[in-house]
Amino acid sequence: MRPDVRIATLLPALVTLLIIARVVLAQDDVGDVHQGKVVYEQYCALCHGEQGDGKGHYSEDTTPVPRDFRQGTFKWRSTPSGSLPTDADLEKVLVNGLFGTSMSSFSTSLTHRQRLDVIAYIKTFSPRFATEKPEAPITIPPEPPYTAESVTRGEAVYQKFNCAQCHGNGGHGDGPSADDLKDDWGNEIVPYDFTEGHVKCGNNGSDIYRVFIAGLNGTPMPSFADSISPAEAWDLVHFIQSLSPDYPKNVTGTPPTPIGKGAP
Amino acid sequence: MKIPMRYGLRILSASIISGALLLARPVLADYTVETVSNGGTIEGVVKLSGAALQIAPIKVTKNQDYCGQSIPSPVYSVGKDGGLQNVEVYLKGITKGKALSTDTISLVNEHCMFNPRVQGANIGQQIKISSNDPVLHSTHPQNASTNATIYNIALPFKGFSVTKPLPAIPELIKVKCDAHEWMHAWIWELDNPYFATTGDDGRFTIKDVPPGTYTLVAWHEAAGEKPTSVTVSAGKTATVAIQLAATQTP
Repeated sequence: MRPDVRIATLLPALVTLLIIARVVLAQDDVGDVHQGKVVYEQYCALCHGEQGDGKGHYSEDTTPVPRDFRQGTFKWRSTPSGSLPTDADLEKVLVNGLFGTSMSSFSTSLTHRQRLDVIAYIKTFSPRFATEKPEAPITIPPEPPYTAESVTRGEAVYQKFNCAQCHGNGGHGDGPSADDLKDDWGNEIVPYDFTEGHVKCGNNGSDIYRVFIAGLNGTPMPSFADSISPAEAWDLVHFIQSLSPDYPKNVTGTPPTPIGKGAP
Repeated sequence: MKIPMRYGLRILSASIISGALLLARPVLADYTVETVSNGGTIEGVVKLSGAALQIAPIKVTKNQDYCGQSIPSPVYSVGKDGGLQNVEVYLKGITKGKALSTDTISLVNEHCMFNPRVQGANIGQQIKISSNDPVLHSTHPQNASTNATIYNIALPFKGFSVTKPLPAIPELIKVKCDAHEWMHAWIWELDNPYFATTGDDGRFTIKDVPPGTYTLVAWHEAAGEKPTSVTVSAGKTATVAIQLAATQTP
């Protein structure tokens, strides 16, 4: 049999397979913009505004101010600095909320389907989602043991990478550059005080690791992806955790489990 | 019938590759590359009109032990005969001509300032970001009109460097260092290769321009933007003198 005949035989099957895959994927992963608009106007617009500009009715009384969706700029992402977030990133924020802000959890008030729908609608506020794709999520290697040695090494990493420039020598968020920081919208923004406990973007070691590598888009928190090694980053995670009241002070060798209000 | 897997795989990989190409296709710039054999040259000077400005130096508020107490303001850098440095000059709306620039541009964090302060680039070019300073810098390029973050890279120690792509869409990029709020730089990312930055004497040269009449734009971070019409003849040099007024006090 000649090769082109075989190709002709195979093509319809391949096309059918691709169509099936597309339909299945569409049902599972992609929200409905029109349904999402209904959800958005009911739950989100009061803070984030009908136009997605972060200027809803309640926004003036909110600190930090609600996200302006028009830039496609999101702090919490699994993707590299500057990249759009994935849908899963946005859903994680909807599920967990953002601790210490007015952004509450929609883990029970919205179904998974409704969350996907509203994410599809939120993405219409920025033209970036139509022309760009999120970059591949960053890789987080397995967490090494949380030991006193790792914490000590992490303190040296904190010094080496000049974290104190913004976060201060004691991690109180009072470094020399702390007072002049602004976000993309010109709002004043303060560096995190690690002794407060509960990191806004998630309290697990991997959540903190991710912030070092991905940075927080739209804020002065840069990406250290090109300068820090995985071993250094994990030691730094452990040092940051050692400053927080959310973790037990005895270092047992296993990754620490957050306690009290810090529990994820 | 036995279907040989290798043909199926070939079709599948061909589909994936063409699909990926379709997705990765950059926004098509309105510019066509062609051989310019009879091009002309634009030579010019940009001068600051009016009296020389007295501008207060930058007051250094952090890392004074390394950065010093103050830094001379780089905003209006005026050389001999009033020539203005750090003006980006480019042809607006030119649709065809020589190939785009492809070399890697450079932005150095040095003595708590960016160097160069102003430069041009083409879409598709890369930028090498480096630090010669023993303090934490961040190189945080943003779209100059929307402030949208392009990326934000930490430069935690002296000698560190990294090479990054410039955005896929032409735009004026404003770069800041969040740790030292006085540090700023500008990158004019353009979709044509006819651009130049004025030197310390205010002079610039743009070569291999196809004959025709163009709009030459001169842009300065504080004195603003000024268009000038320029006609280029084959093999000749057109000279331009541009005056910018210091309308804003930085």
